[in-house]
Amino acid sequence: MSQFTFQAHAVTKTFPGVVALDKVNLSLTPGSVHALLGENGAGKSTLIKIMTGVHRHDAGHMEIDGTLFAPQSTREAIAAGVGVVHQERNVIPRFSVAENIFLETLSADPWKPINYPKLYRDAEHWLDLLEIDADPSTKVEDLPVAKIQLVEIAKALALKSRILMLDEPTASLTQHETERLFSIVKRLRDDGVSLVFVSHKLEEVQEICDQVTVLRDGRNACESQPLEGLGRQDIVRLMIGRTEQIPTWSQRDCRDRDVALELRGVATQAGHTDVSLSLHKGEVLGLYGLVGSGRTELAKAIIGADKVTGGEILVEGTPRNITSVADALHQNRIGYVSEDRKSEGLILMHSVLDNAGITVWRRLQNAIGAFTDRSVEKAVSPVVKKLEVRTPSLHQTIGNLSGGNQQKVSVAKWLAANVSILIIDEPTVGVDIKTKAYVHELIRDLADAGTSVLLITSDMPEMVTVADRILVMDEFQIRGEVINDRDYDRVSHEIMQHIHGSSEVAAE
Amino acid sequence: MADIEQNSAPVRNPVTAHPPVRQMTAVQRFFLSNEFGLIVLIVLFTIIFASISPMFLSNFSLYAMGRTAAVNIMIGFSMMVVIVTGGLNLGVGAIGVCGAMFGGWLMQAAGLHWLPACFGALIVGALLGATNGVMIVKSGLHSFIITLATMSVMFGAMIFLTQAESFREISPAFSTLGRMKILAVLSPMLLTAIVIGVLLWLAFKFTTVGREILAAGANARAAELSGIRVGRMITYAHALSGVLAVVAGLMLVSRTGAAIPSMAGQLGQDWLLPAFLGPVLGGNLLTGGRISVLGTFLGAFLVTMLTTGLLLMQVGAFWVQTYLGLLLLIAVLLDLARRSYLARNKLV
Ligand SMILES: Nc1ncnc2c1ncn2[C@@H]1O[C@H](COP(=O)(O)OP(=O)(O)OP(=O)(O)O)[C@@H](O)[C@H]1O
Ligand SMILES: [Mg+2]
Repeated sequence: MSQFTFQAHAVTKTFPGVVALDKVNLSLTPGSVHALLGENGAGKSTLIKIMTGVHRHDAGHMEIDGTLFAPQSTREAIAAGVGVVHQERNVIPRFSVAENIFLETLSADPWKPINYPKLYRDAEHWLDLLEIDADPSTKVEDLPVAKIQLVEIAKALALKSRILMLDEPTASLTQHETERLFSIVKRLRDDGVSLVFVSHKLEEVQEICDQVTVLRDGRNACESQPLEGLGRQDIVRLMIGRTEQIPTWSQRDCRDRDVALELRGVATQAGHTDVSLSLHKGEVLGLYGLVGSGRTELAKAIIGADKVTGGEILVEGTPRNITSVADALHQNRIGYVSEDRKSEGLILMHSVLDNAGITVWRRLQNAIGAFTDRSVEKAVSPVVKKLEVRTPSLHQTIGNLSGGNQQKVSVAKWLAANVSILIIDEPTVGVDIKTKAYVHELIRDLADAGTSVLLITSDMPEMVTVADRILVMDEFQIRGEVINDRDYDRVSHEIMQHIHGSSEVAAE
Repeated sequence: MADIEQNSAPVRNPVTAHPPVRQMTAVQRFFLSNEFGLIVLIVLFTIIFASISPMFLSNFSLYAMGRTAAVNIMIGFSMMVVIVTGGLNLGVGAIGVCGAMFGGWLMQAAGLHWLPACFGALIVGALLGATNGVMIVKSGLHSFIITLATMSVMFGAMIFLTQAESFREISPAFSTLGRMKILAVLSPMLLTAIVIGVLLWLAFKFTTVGREILAAGANARAAELSGIRVGRMITYAHALSGVLAVVAGLMLVSRTGAAIPSMAGQLGQDWLLPAFLGPVLGGNLLTGGRISVLGTFLGAFLVTMLTTGLLLMQVGAFWVQTYLGLLLLIAVLLDLARRSYLARNKLV
């Protein structure tokens, strides 16, 4: 009897043009949380997909409790007690929350009629556990990204697996929801479950994990060793081969410059009643808030994707009526990086180049409306190179890239768009620490060159690193303003005060 | 901490760190493509038909086949440009006939030269197609429903306006085109289809509008949020579909020397099978977002060849339909097999 629940020996997997895994080993012990780390494209998700029967490995073997384990389908993996929250969304948008949570059990016996009242009651249990504020009968497509993520987690928990793999479960969660998740993870661990946790947020890893495996270019950089004794910089070095560079940018203040974008008492169909703000030329204005506070909805209203029902939006001092993203981009030079790369940011079946270049085609076209791929390549490759998008070629289908590399392209296409106002919504979800710093640099470069940036992010360190000034939003209203002097503790404290202050008021 | 130091070697270059992985050249990719499969089938059937009936490769037979293929290719193109938006145009036949009848009217009743008359006909095609497009975009309904409805309306209106009469006094110069032979075997109509094919290929590869139509077809929401006017692109695609349908109609007018309301059957339904066969055999995804002009061209050509060959072998006309249906099934299965072969051998 082995002391390990699960072992992978020299697992190898290649895709056309890519060696995703090269003789990778992994051992999981019961009652532990195992961190699986590595840069974007290192092979983390591929390993998890092999363990859950999504992909078949080319060489090597896997064992569960000492017996050979080679799942041919996801169903086989589930039967063997392996559950997973995939990095990419894996819910059926038109089904209800409850139906999604119990999808596996429902489909096990297709002829049995579904007892909906019971289904909803059972779902309530998981929703309460994760503190998901949603009705079990709501369609998943009507939920914001973060809640969908929580539903995914509930779905995996409901399977009650012995081995549970969480592939970047916290990427689109805020601190509060993450803490909630962690308390559940700890309980599962104490019950003897083996968990695998993938994240690019090292603070989280250090908080929750006890063992670590690092992958680099598809190979083990370290293998199932205790996390104890490893500092943050040790882990970073294993991942990227050098230590982390933390930018120490000085305070920036652009408030005496011209206003690029101004909102005056804006009301929207999404639920804002009276939002006013001004974004100055070359400024990075942060918009912080909890999930569901109305930040993305505000961004969508500004760019004409959602309806504005009142107030005024002024671009460079003139009132504008923006009714479509095309208006925003072509008439007002406003761009928007979506938080949802899969359904809004990227066209997954098209190539990396087509995705990165979609915003520059009209700029590059000649008199008869034609352009060449070569010119597009020239326009986007500085950004694509800077962000180190890992792909066998620019003509690779973007859906085949690793999650973080897809995210890079989703951001890159707007950084290359040459807009004067850029709204960036959660730019570094799933991006590794090295590239994250590059994204920050690029945002900073844009701002220095005069582009005004409205930055929406739930990542507090990112906010404090990049933003010049921070607005705090809660319940579709702006609750306060914080001048960012890069003093993390002070700034984050002040931000949370604005949020909690307002909820106390709301509670009274 | 010793093992950490050991592991923190400088980053390996991802390109050289692993043994080289198989990468395909453009030529290899072509041999594994759907288009190449169609070429193989075309050659195969040519050999089969030619060995059964020596007539098959006679100059006249080749000429007639090219001429019919041209019409089928245009019909296939007409459907293809809508399929890439993720939609359908059931009115290919109806629009084609309406436009062609208008062209006939312009030549006979208005006495116009054939060139402006054809131009007028194409404009009607564009307008009818654009009408479909606008209604689809404004209503948010699937193009299937809208084009099913407008197909009947358009065809009915045409019958009412023409009183179901044909226009037979069309310009002799125009009908000469339909009978002209270049180098004894080549019809100017096939040449036209080739030129239009090349133009379409260029348009969807190199122009902003072409690429934006593909983006809109692949993921409308992402396209919209990237600043593409998705509604407008769908309307353009339908207008283009109308124009291409009318080209097919005019080819028939030129060939028969008359514009006849029943040239595509009741409601234009005779065109429906060729409209789908070309694009589907050609490997265009019905869900949109990807185009293969060459595939559609070859698919339509294959269908024409099979029809001609079977008729030459004196197979009853109704059997031809059955065989075409079978061909569609076989082609789809073959494509499936090809794809799984590629995936198994890691070639895609
Ligand atoms: N279906 C596929 N087809 C081709 N290549 C693939 C496919 N899936 C993954 N890859 C490639 O395999 C490599 C490893 O990808 P994987 O998704 O495992 O990375 P990851 O470590 O999860 O990265 P991230 O942090 O970005 O999620 C990448 O280079 C990716 O491009
Ligand atoms: Mg991943």
